[in-house]
Order: sequence, then structure tokens, then C-alpha cells
Amino acid sequence: MLRFSTSVYKEILILIRDKAGIAILFIMPMVLVFVMTLIQDSTFRKLEETSLMVLFLDEDQDSLGMAVENGLMNSGFINIKKTYEGKLLDRETIIQLVTKGKYQIGIIIPASATGTIRNKAEYLIEQAFSDVDSITEEENLQFEPAKVILYFDPVIKYSFRKSVRITLEKFIYGIESKITFDIFTDEISRYIPSDNNLKFDPTGSIIIEERYIKDKYNEMVPNSVQHNIPAWTVFAMFFIIIPLTGNIIKERESGSILRLKLMPGSDLIVMSAKILVYLLVCFIQFVLMLLVGIVFLPMLGLPVLELGPHILALIIIAIATALSATGYGIMLGTIATTHEQAASFGSVSIIILAAIGGIWVPIFIMPDIMQKISIISPLNWGLEGFYSIFLRGGGIRDILPYAGLLVGFCILTMFLAFQYQRFHKKF
Amino acid sequence: MEDNFAIRIENITKIYKGSAEPALRNISLAVPQNEIFGLLGPNGAGKTTTINILCGFLKFNSGEVYINNLSVEKDLNKIKRIVGLVPQDIALYNTLSAWENLRFIGNMYGLKGNKLKARINECLNMLGLEKSRNRQIKTYSGGMKRRINLIAGILHEPKILFLDEPTVGIDVQSRKVILDYLHELNKKGTTIIYTSHYLEEAENLCSSIAIIDNGEIITQGNPGEMIESEEEYTDLESIFIHLTGRSLRDN
Repeated sequence: MLRFSTSVYKEILILIRDKAGIAILFIMPMVLVFVMTLIQDSTFRKLEETSLMVLFLDEDQDSLGMAVENGLMNSGFINIKKTYEGKLLDRETIIQLVTKGKYQIGIIIPASATGTIRNKAEYLIEQAFSDVDSITEEENLQFEPAKVILYFDPVIKYSFRKSVRITLEKFIYGIESKITFDIFTDEISRYIPSDNNLKFDPTGSIIIEERYIKDKYNEMVPNSVQHNIPAWTVFAMFFIIIPLTGNIIKERESGSILRLKLMPGSDLIVMSAKILVYLLVCFIQFVLMLLVGIVFLPMLGLPVLELGPHILALIIIAIATALSATGYGIMLGTIATTHEQAASFGSVSIIILAAIGGIWVPIFIMPDIMQKISIISPLNWGLEGFYSIFLRGGGIRDILPYAGLLVGFCILTMFLAFQYQRFHKKF
Repeated sequence: MEDNFAIRIENITKIYKGSAEPALRNISLAVPQNEIFGLLGPNGAGKTTTINILCGFLKFNSGEVYINNLSVEKDLNKIKRIVGLVPQDIALYNTLSAWENLRFIGNMYGLKGNKLKARINECLNMLGLEKSRNRQIKTYSGGMKRRINLIAGILHEPKILFLDEPTVGIDVQSRKVILDYLHELNKKGTTIIYTSHYLEEAENLCSSIAIIDNGEIITQGNPGEMIESEEEYTDLESIFIHLTGRSLRDN
């Protein structure tokens, strides 16, 4: 016990006197979680909460042009701009401004777009009330659709482009339906005169209601904090491998390991002390990052991190993740021969494991092959464990498979480190 | 077979993986108790390999090694309790003070409480480091580091002490303090196995020496007797040059 406690004390002293190491271990992860959550907050907000300036040219000057203009202005996430440098926009200017990237989107409603809708609707209704059975293909061709043109800067993401297009289509279909409805009611009134004029109702008969999965205790609404805190916490916890591998290599380079090797039964004790101290470090990191989510981020207007009712499950998955990171660090520290090797391979491998593990991009939108590969990343196991608690309201039973994998990874990496050292007799 | 040797090496051969040439070629060596034994040789001769085998750090391909009649292969844990090592590198934690380093090492050998404090104070006084005990090792001069490195190796009062170039790169004063202390230790019964490139130092310090080159022991005996038996050579250095040649050893 004396050997173990003195080894722990020694590791703590070395750690607290390494100011750069302390910064990497505690301050950088907090900054990382802070910045990433703030940045990614916008992707979790409703599209309506963001705002985008759009160039708008209404050549139609009729119902469609006006409906689209009003609709976009009232959409909340689009501001329209009809002039540039005091002049009304034209097609050429819109193309130039979007090409140069000064504006990301340009919308042109062509002349007589409303007329095209109206003509086609009139023709169709006329046909419906006539004796002719059906419209021939030849007749249909004379109603060539009017083209509403959207210019996009290539930097605009597909999902955003899609949202703008869907919003625009909603307005177009709405006005098309209204025009058709109005012509239809006019036509009907010719045959069946009535004092009760039919009115177009733009609200639908079906509405969509979003609901999040919840357990019997509480409902957790996904937001940037619930998503980002666990993701970047797992990422940061794995970054302990940098100071940990540095510690192991320094001990080897200084020759201290030789002295330790010559002490009776010290191998396991010294390594256990190191594991305990770095587990403690990971756990402190974890608590600090929870504090960021509970205390600091809400100060900037972000939602408060909800820990849920299963605190024990949270502690178990945090310890399992810490064990996994520590095991990986010990393996790298044993195999790497220089600080440079350990630092570069260590950090790049964590970034790769984070990428395939779903820390940056959700796994469900990855290609099939990457989705299959993602299950080999311990960062993915940690992340899924935390998500089970933070987003799905899961408990101990839900996180046990992930905790088991993480502990298994720790055992495997330490076994490999031990075997490597035995085989190479490297000190 | 019980004997009075602190160290007995019998027909040891060591070939490193990937190397065609053996690092040690069937060497045999016996060091009686209470000797100061110098293992001398040019760079790459096999000195450090021998020390590493004696400490149990390296496996060997054939032969047997005994320390105080204990087999290095079978009784390593018992051997660890009776040997000490002063490696060539300053094998200490730079950001810990001398006191913190020594307390850690003492605790690891099972020493604690007042006994440990008294032992640390005694060693620090003997080697003139008592005033610097609370300074971090990284603030020490080269000579101070060598002295604290020595204390770390002898804190648990080993019966056999291995010293790998203990005086390399230090001033005359620190060297004298270290060598005087080694004499003191030896008088108290510690067997010292010492490697160095300083042949004059070895000549004065060691009661017996072995010169090793290309993994073979090429001569062995009392340095004074060696010089007397060779009329044309007046010191250990000339004998060393005669036996190992003048070619540079850069590997």
C-alpha cells in the first residue's frame, strides 16, 4: 500500500507541476467544448431562427411574385433584397453578385409566371366542364411551365439549398392552388349561382407534430448542449493520451524506468498508480465539462445541460470511457519511441477515431461502409453511452454494453502494451 | 554451489535481435564480495549490456549469471532487494525536489517514517546536498545531479551497487566527493561494480578490473599488478590502448 500511495503521490506531483500538461488536460477541453457547442448551436436551432439575405427580382409583378415576396419576408429566416447600390436588381446583377459570393442566393420570378398558372388553370377547368373527354398531349404542351430561377453560391450546403427550395415550392403551390380554386369557383358560380361565395382556405387539413422519444421519467429535448457536451467530452477525455504518453516516454528516456524496474515488484504498482491518477484526471475533465454545460453555456443563452435521473449510469460510462482512454495512452506510450511519434500519432489517431466514431458527423448520415467501420471506434462506444443517458433517457442497463466494450478495450490495450514490452524488453 | 562471489558470470552470450555479431561472446567473470570492480572498455564493447544482464533487464542467449549465489533468471525479485543501480542518465524526476525523489524511492523499497528521513538526511549530508534538498532537480548543476543520482541508488543500502559512468561530465570537486563516498560505502561492505572511461579514476578506485572489447573479456586482475607485470606500460591507459587498439569506436 505504501508503494502504491507513494506512486500515486509522485504522479500527482509530476502532473500538477507540468503547467502545459494541465492546460492540455483541463483548460483546452473546456475551451473546446465551449467553442464547439457555441458554433454548432446554430445547426440545432430551427431554420427559422437563422437569417439569410436573398436577392429577389420580381419580373412577374402579379399574384405569384407578390405571394413569394410576402411569403419569404414573413418566413423569418430570409430577408429579401430588391436593390443594389441604389438601383433595382436585374438578372445580370444578380448573377454577378452571387458569382462573386457577395450574396449566396438569388431568386427570379419570371414575367407572366402568374399568367401561365392562370391560363393553364382556366384551360383545365374549361376542359373539365366541356364535352371533351380528356386533354391531348399536344394541347398540354402549349402550357410550358414558367421557370422560377434560383441562383446559389456553391458554398451553400445542400440541406440549406433544399430548405429554401422547399419553402419556395410551398408558396408557389399555394398560389397555384389559390388561382385554380378561384377560377374553379367562378366557373361553378356560372352554373350554380349562390350567395355563399366559396373562400380559399390556405391552411391544410393535416398538420405534422414533432415528438421526441422520452422515457417515463422525463422528456429530453435534443439541443446543441445535449448533443455537443457528450461528444466533445469523449473527444477531450481521449486527449489525455498526449500527456500520458509523454509521461511514460519521459520516464523511459530519463532512465527512471530502469531504476523502477530494479525495485522489487514495482512494475504493476507504478503502472496502477499511473492508471488511477489519469482516471482521476479524466473524471475531473468530465465534471468540468458538465459544469460548462450546466453553468457557463447557459450564461450565453444556450440551454442548460440536463443530466437526467440516472447519475450512476453517467458515472459508470464516464469511468469506462476514462479507462479506455488511459489504456490506449499506455499502449501508445509503450510502443512509441519518441515524444514526436507519440504526440503526432496519438492526436491524429484520436481525430480519426473521433471522425469515424460520429463525434463530428452523425453516423446515420455516413455512407454504409463508414457506418460499419464506426462501430470499431471506442469514441463511438463512449458517445453512444452518453447519448443513451443525455438524449434517450437511458439508465444503467442501456449503457452496460457500451461500458463493457470500453472496459474490454482498456484490457486489450494494456495486454498489448504488456506483451510488447515483454517481447521487446524496452525501457 | 555456494561461494563467496558477489557476482559470477559463466559463459554468457548475448546476441541482439537483428544483429549478426554477438554483443557478448561467451564471457565469464567472478567478482568477490566487497570488491570495487571496474568493467572497462571502449564504446560498444559490451559494458552496458553486461550491467543490464546483471540487473535482469536483458535476457541472454546462453550461460548463467549469479548474484550473491542467486540466479538472475530464477531469483530476480530477491536480487532486486540487494542490488542498487546508478545509471549513466540522471534517472530522477526533474520536476520533483531531491527530497521528493528520495522519499519516493525510499518508499518503493519499503522504507518509511523517521528511518527514511534519517537515511535521506544522512546521504544528503554526506554528499553535500542538504541545503538543496527542496529544490527541483531541474535546477541542479551537473555535479549536483550526479550526486543525487548516486544517493538514489544507495538509499536502500544495497549489498551490491552497479555504477554506470557515475562521474561523467562533472567538475573535480563533485568527482572527489563521489569517489570518496564510494570508498566509504565499500569500507562498510558494499561490493561496487563500476564502468567508466576515466582510466586513471578506475586505476585509483578499483581493487580489480576487467577490460572488455568486442564482447570479450581480454584481461582481468588487479590494476596495480597489471601495470607492474607489464614493464613497457606505466599506467592503465597505456595497457588499455595496447589491448583495445587505437581505432575509433563510434557505434
